[in-house]
Amino acid sequence: MKFFSYKTFLVLGLLLVASVSAQEAQKEKLQRMIDAALDVIYSDTHTTLSANEKQAQVREKLESSYDLDVMIRYAIGKNWRRMNEREQIEVLELVKQLVLKAYMIGLDGKDRPSITLGELTQIGRARIEIESTMVLDAKTYYILYRLRQMDSGWQIYDIVAENVSVSSNYRGQIDDHFRKGSGADLIARLKNLLAEDEINEDTKI
Amino acid sequence: MKTQKFKRPLAWASLIGLLSVTNLTAQDGNLTEDEAFFYEEVDEGADVYDPFESVNRFTFEFNDFVFSNTIQPLVDAYTAITPDPLEEGASNFFHNLRYPVRLASNLLQCRFKGAWVETGRFAINSTVGFVGILTPADDYEGFAPIKSEDVGQVFGAWGIGEGPYLVLPFLGPSNLRDLAGFFGDRSLNPLKEPLSMIDDWEWEWQLATSGTGYIARSPQIIERYKQLKGSSIDPYSSLRSGYAQYRRGAVAE
Repeated sequence: MKFFSYKTFLVLGLLLVASVSAQEAQKEKLQRMIDAALDVIYSDTHTTLSANEKQAQVREKLESSYDLDVMIRYAIGKNWRRMNEREQIEVLELVKQLVLKAYMIGLDGKDRPSITLGELTQIGRARIEIESTMVLDAKTYYILYRLRQMDSGWQIYDIVAENVSVSSNYRGQIDDHFRKGSGADLIARLKNLLAEDEINEDTKI
Repeated sequence: MKTQKFKRPLAWASLIGLLSVTNLTAQDGNLTEDEAFFYEEVDEGADVYDPFESVNRFTFEFNDFVFSNTIQPLVDAYTAITPDPLEEGASNFFHNLRYPVRLASNLLQCRFKGAWVETGRFAINSTVGFVGILTPADDYEGFAPIKSEDVGQVFGAWGIGEGPYLVLPFLGPSNLRDLAGFFGDRSLNPLKEPLSMIDDWEWEWQLATSGTGYIARSPQIIERYKQLKGSSIDPYSSLRSGYAQYRRGAVAE
């Protein structure tokens, strides 16, 4: 009976504390990443950069903190198996470019948003949610970041803006696509999308 | 003593075993835990009942054509000639006029605090804010803007199902429940009571105000629509999923 002695409880308690503080550290990491990305777009020192250069720098900042492939793989779901290895790599890259482009265009011509992180909630084994509010053009939006502990560390796998989950939205689109189309069709569609709305090099955000 | 010595490693082994089992149960066949995670089902918005998909897709294409060729040029002209504060003022004015819809929708859901906030905002904005053009209520404690309620949300809160997904000509995404709610909204809106438009001698006035309200609201809608279209693999599917998730969230709140 002595097995579950105070030492055991002490060890379990320490593990719990370590786990909670590791999760809290994710909040700080997320805030740093958001600030760094917004600095690239809005800082006075970056005014000479073109929209494409800014996009490249934003990508660098995001990728230095998180593996963007995780969110894209989660959005693709089981459709991943319907593509060959070459298609998988190309789709990952093209979706990444598309999402980044949408992010940049979404902020085009607007003042720097103010983003405040709120409560962190554990939503399951190795999963957390971080609430946030974004004030953009005097309007407040509620955004939720969902993170999961992967082999590569804590990674963002979903962003829920005003109740709309980005991963779920893309999953629905990709599911619909693969009902009739192939991996090659998806690549062609993504390339068309990127070419259609190429960011104007002269655009200054 | 012997038994105790034997029990201790056994207990540790059981604990480690228990932890390993949790790991193993998450695996699907030969998949690693990370792989299994990528293949898991997502719940939100994934299941939208869309039995009229072919008709809806056709209406979606029609709306897209109308948006791109008629409404967008109108909205572009409107935003070009209207200074930003005036544009915002017009949007505020029409939002303020929809107060009866928001009040009734709050009351029908027994959201008395929401009804109180909406009433306070209407009173302040209609008087101090020059018939709702300005929104001084934003600065009054307890009267900060809250999320708008409508009759479709009321039906959702009452437990009425969404019904099939619909794309309405000129109006965009909806479902059977929200379509019924739309007529409810119109009957509560002092400017848009639909049946009176047929015989009412003032139909020109009502059409003009409805049209102006539509244009005043459109810049934001057009901007969001363009963003959605530019970042979607399948804009129809994206709008359907986005609409369903947004409305489900609004009903749940």
